[in-house]
Amino acid sequence: MERDLLKEKLTEIFRRVFNDDRLEVNDRLTANDVSNWDSLSHMILIGEVEKSLGITFKLKELNKMKNVGDMMDIILTKL
Amino acid sequence: MVFTSINFLLFFPLVAVLYYLTPVKYRWLTLLVVSYFFYINIRPVYALLLAGVTASTYVFTRLMDSTADDVVKKRYMVVNIILILLPLFFFKYFGEINAGVTATLQKFYLRWPLPEIKLLLPVGISFYTFMAIGYTIDVYNEDIKAEKNFGMVALFISFFPLVLSGPIERAKNMLPQFNHTKPVDYGDIVKGMKLMLWGYFMKLVVADRIGLYVDVVFNEVDTQSGTTLLLSSMLYPFQVYADLGGYSLIAIGTAKMLGIEVMQNFKRPFFAVSMAEFWRRWHISLITWITDYVYTPLSFKFRKLGMRGVVLSLLIAFLISGIWHGAALTFVAWGLLQGIFLSMEAVMSKRRKSFEEQYSLGRRWWYILVCCLLTFGLFALSQVFARASSISNACLVLKRIVSSRGGLYLDMTNLLYAFFGLGILLLSEFRDEFFPGKLLVFENKIILVRYTAYLGVFFFILYFGVFNGNRFIYFQF
Repeated sequence: MERDLLKEKLTEIFRRVFNDDRLEVNDRLTANDVSNWDSLSHMILIGEVEKSLGITFKLKELNKMKNVGDMMDIILTKL
Repeated sequence: MVFTSINFLLFFPLVAVLYYLTPVKYRWLTLLVVSYFFYINIRPVYALLLAGVTASTYVFTRLMDSTADDVVKKRYMVVNIILILLPLFFFKYFGEINAGVTATLQKFYLRWPLPEIKLLLPVGISFYTFMAIGYTIDVYNEDIKAEKNFGMVALFISFFPLVLSGPIERAKNMLPQFNHTKPVDYGDIVKGMKLMLWGYFMKLVVADRIGLYVDVVFNEVDTQSGTTLLLSSMLYPFQVYADLGGYSLIAIGTAKMLGIEVMQNFKRPFFAVSMAEFWRRWHISLITWITDYVYTPLSFKFRKLGMRGVVLSLLIAFLISGIWHGAALTFVAWGLLQGIFLSMEAVMSKRRKSFEEQYSLGRRWWYILVCCLLTFGLFALSQVFARASSISNACLVLKRIVSSRGGLYLDMTNLLYAFFGLGILLLSEFRDEFFPGKLLVFENKIILVRYTAYLGVFFFILYFGVFNGNRFIYFQF
């Protein structure tokens, strides 16, 4: 999958999880930039990403995700 | 040797001088020697336990680093965690569990053959065990490489400002600082002294003054009126905050004077507008530890359950947090209450956000005030269980608050000093929360204002402080 297409799909998932229709995903986006993105909603987001893209993360990979760019890098290795 | 003892006030300046006189290359060694001296000074035999936890952690983290096989690596991690948890379990929980099992069996006319063992809890064991576990998991997760120098690992686990009551630091913050110590910095020394001064104010004036009142009331729950119990229950969270918060500031300030940065442990918790925010401001080092090493793996495991998985993970994580404080059922209830409050908030968060946006409530002062008061009320309610001697005692306190009126027990002198100290503390936090950088006192540009404030707080402590050797509340954990 192309990175741009993945970004579109992630934007859709992020909007749904965080209940924000204006949210735009970019590589540098972090939890600090999105209201309601905390340790509680983070795992719901991870679950939704896995379900929507048909992939499975490892816990170690989660620890390495410092921003959405890192998340996309890991996802692209799985698609 | 505790921070509020004369011994410490003599010990620390000597340590600081010795530390800065030591060549940079060997400063870590000076810190290690004084850290063990500090700990041995409390009870020599327990230093063996500290050394044992260190040795096990060193060996297994090195073994983890020596293999690429994830299964073997995981096995080493699990074995080390079990090994270093054993003393904690034995010293902290064995007595309670033994007593509980014995009492239960006696109800069925069965006698427990083991004799009752009363052990004195090695001070700081819950804190340094968590630091060692955190380091072990970080090495397993490849967040950091295993430290090759045994002395550095020993220093990380025994570092004297943190070993008794935290903050529960992380190896990736501390080890690089021990490896590359900073040169003498006048700014660090002054900042450290200010933090220590404020810490002593919080502990000796606010916490211990409130404690004199709260202890009397909670020791005689049966005879106190509902009004008195309500006031004590409202004051107790402030006592705990000033006690552990004060301790943390002294610890952070001590480390700062040696040029070592330690994480913040509290961030104006009583200005939180929700329980989730409260727990991002209260005992931060413990809650981030629980989040990283307990909640995250659990919620990852339960992620397919969606919100139900989050709720389940929260309940288990806070149950563990409660049990970390002690084996008593009161702490289990305390932990479960926190888990329930946070779960309810998590479930309602979307609706709350929509409601706040619909009526533009987010920045209205009265709405913020109501949310702060509600959050405080919920926390104070849970703290009744942490303070009471048993579940039935806690229920009695709550029952009397609701049903019994009567006169207020007043210990005027103590309460006056306590409220005065608490007022100053909350005013300074109000300024930092809503007017950061304004009306500065300790950081004022005018030297006269600064020194008047230092002396004012110093004499305030001397005049209003309690100097009868009250221990810090968290030493029992």
